[in-house]
Amino acid sequence: MHTLELTVNGQGHKVEVGLKTTLLEVLRDKLHITSPKVGCNTGDCGTCSVLLDGVLVRSCITNALSVQGKSVTTLEGIIEPGDIHPLQKAFHENYGSQCGFCTPGMILASKALLDANPSPTRDEVKEALSGNLCRCTGYVKIIDSVLAAADEMKS
Amino acid sequence: MAEGEFFRAASPQEAAGLLAQHGGSARVLAGGTDLMVAVNKRMFKPQVIIYLGDAGMSGISQEGDALLIGAATPLSVIQASPLVADKTPLLAAAIKQMASPAIRNAGTIGGNLANASPAADTATPLLALGASLKLVGAKGEREVPLAEFFTGPGQSVLGADEIIAQVKVPAQPAEAKWAYRKVGKRKAQSLSVVSVAVYCSISGGQVSGAAIALGAVAPTPLLAQDAAGLLQGKTLDEATIAAAAKAAAEATSPIDDARGTAWYRKRASEAVVKQLLTELAG
Ligand SMILES: Cc1cc2nc3c(=O)[nH]c(=O)nc-3n(C[C@H](O)[C@H](O)[C@H](O)COP(=O)(O)OP(=O)(O)OC[C@H]3O[C@@H](n4cnc5c(N)ncnc54)[C@H](O)[C@@H]3O)c2cc1C
Ligand code: FES
Ligand code: FES
Repeated sequence: MHTLELTVNGQGHKVEVGLKTTLLEVLRDKLHITSPKVGCNTGDCGTCSVLLDGVLVRSCITNALSVQGKSVTTLEGIIEPGDIHPLQKAFHENYGSQCGFCTPGMILASKALLDANPSPTRDEVKEALSGNLCRCTGYVKIIDSVLAAADEMKS
Repeated sequence: MAEGEFFRAASPQEAAGLLAQHGGSARVLAGGTDLMVAVNKRMFKPQVIIYLGDAGMSGISQEGDALLIGAATPLSVIQASPLVADKTPLLAAAIKQMASPAIRNAGTIGGNLANASPAADTATPLLALGASLKLVGAKGEREVPLAEFFTGPGQSVLGADEIIAQVKVPAQPAEAKWAYRKVGKRKAQSLSVVSVAVYCSISGGQVSGAAIALGAVAPTPLLAQDAAGLLQGKTLDEATIAAAAKAAAEATSPIDDARGTAWYRKRASEAVVKQLLTELAG
């Protein structure tokens, strides 16, 4: 086993991992942070998305030891507990979530977009979410939610 | 040690040295977007991993008329690079259509080439542009034209103690014409069924240099040299284009798989080459 030190949502952690361990397994099984979901485990669906030093990645195909010393943000870390992020509020108000399984990944992919581009076009939102699959809400309301959040965050 | 060892190479030379030291049991890891999928599917059990993320192999610079792209440069960094947009827009256009943003943030150009998939989407533009690779081994380095790199599906001339350190891409002359098209099952996040890059210099209305590269239609990414030869010294008229497209399709040797049939791939190759050359003529 190897010792992995990383920061998750601002807090430092030290965990023991193997060569095959993924960042998703560290987050869910060792740190019990469960917003990143296990969907496909092959990089296809996006529900395990997290921000790694601010960059959107798939935690299911990120080797845990490759994130040594880095900083991870999950949905839990985008806003103080008890508060609601404009993206969360917009998904709520615009019916952007049904079962919610894809939602953590959708919100983090949207946050990565809005951090880089606060006024995206509809097509830019589509491109930013192109690796995130939803099998119940459908994409129209999700895209509406992101555009609503962008408006809210600008005002 | 049951769980094996994980090394963070500080340079390409150190990575190559570690590969030599650990024989066949070691594998290098870049973004992990191919390797970790294989691990999760239990198709590959790592014993020794040599991580390239800290090996100083990421970055893009210009040397004379060529771009030097570190093999561990993430695809998204290449896609966003003003230098790449300016000097090799064909490469930027192809990367833009790969996978999805999160995969491009992690996946690297070196990983895409080393994996040697027939459908590796950076291979088609790089073949058309005449790129070459700097390979670093335990005993020294060598430069290999990309056109001589792939030897079969998942196979290349890469030695057991060698890594790809750098990709060298000749800059596109401002007057060169190019076009790229990827045909997939859906727009995003899908592997190529056929991909085509065409690249042409035209002077005085005649083709003075041409390259046609195709992906996912042969055991390796393919440079259709005979087809490109038919364009040499010609004007891009309908008959010339049709002959080149036919020759390009003849050079393919596709397979049936879940993404498409061999029959479809051959016909699509011809149609897409024709379409792109017609675009260049217009
Ligand atoms: C959902 C999804 C969608 C995808 N879509 C596409 C697509 O549209 N087009 C496409 O072409 N690919 C696609 N891929 C495949 C993959 O993302 C790319 O091939 C990527 O560029 C691999 O780079 P990496 O750094 O992640 O490689 P890794 O997984 O780190 O490595 C891949 C292989 O190359 C070796 N390697 C890595 N770097 C080097 C080096 N510098 N020298 C020698 N060997 C090296 C590794 O040992 C391993 O065998 C997709 C993958 C996923 C999961
Ligand atoms: S669980 Fe990671 S992309 Fe599906
Ligand atoms: S809300 Fe159920 S998968 Fe998207």
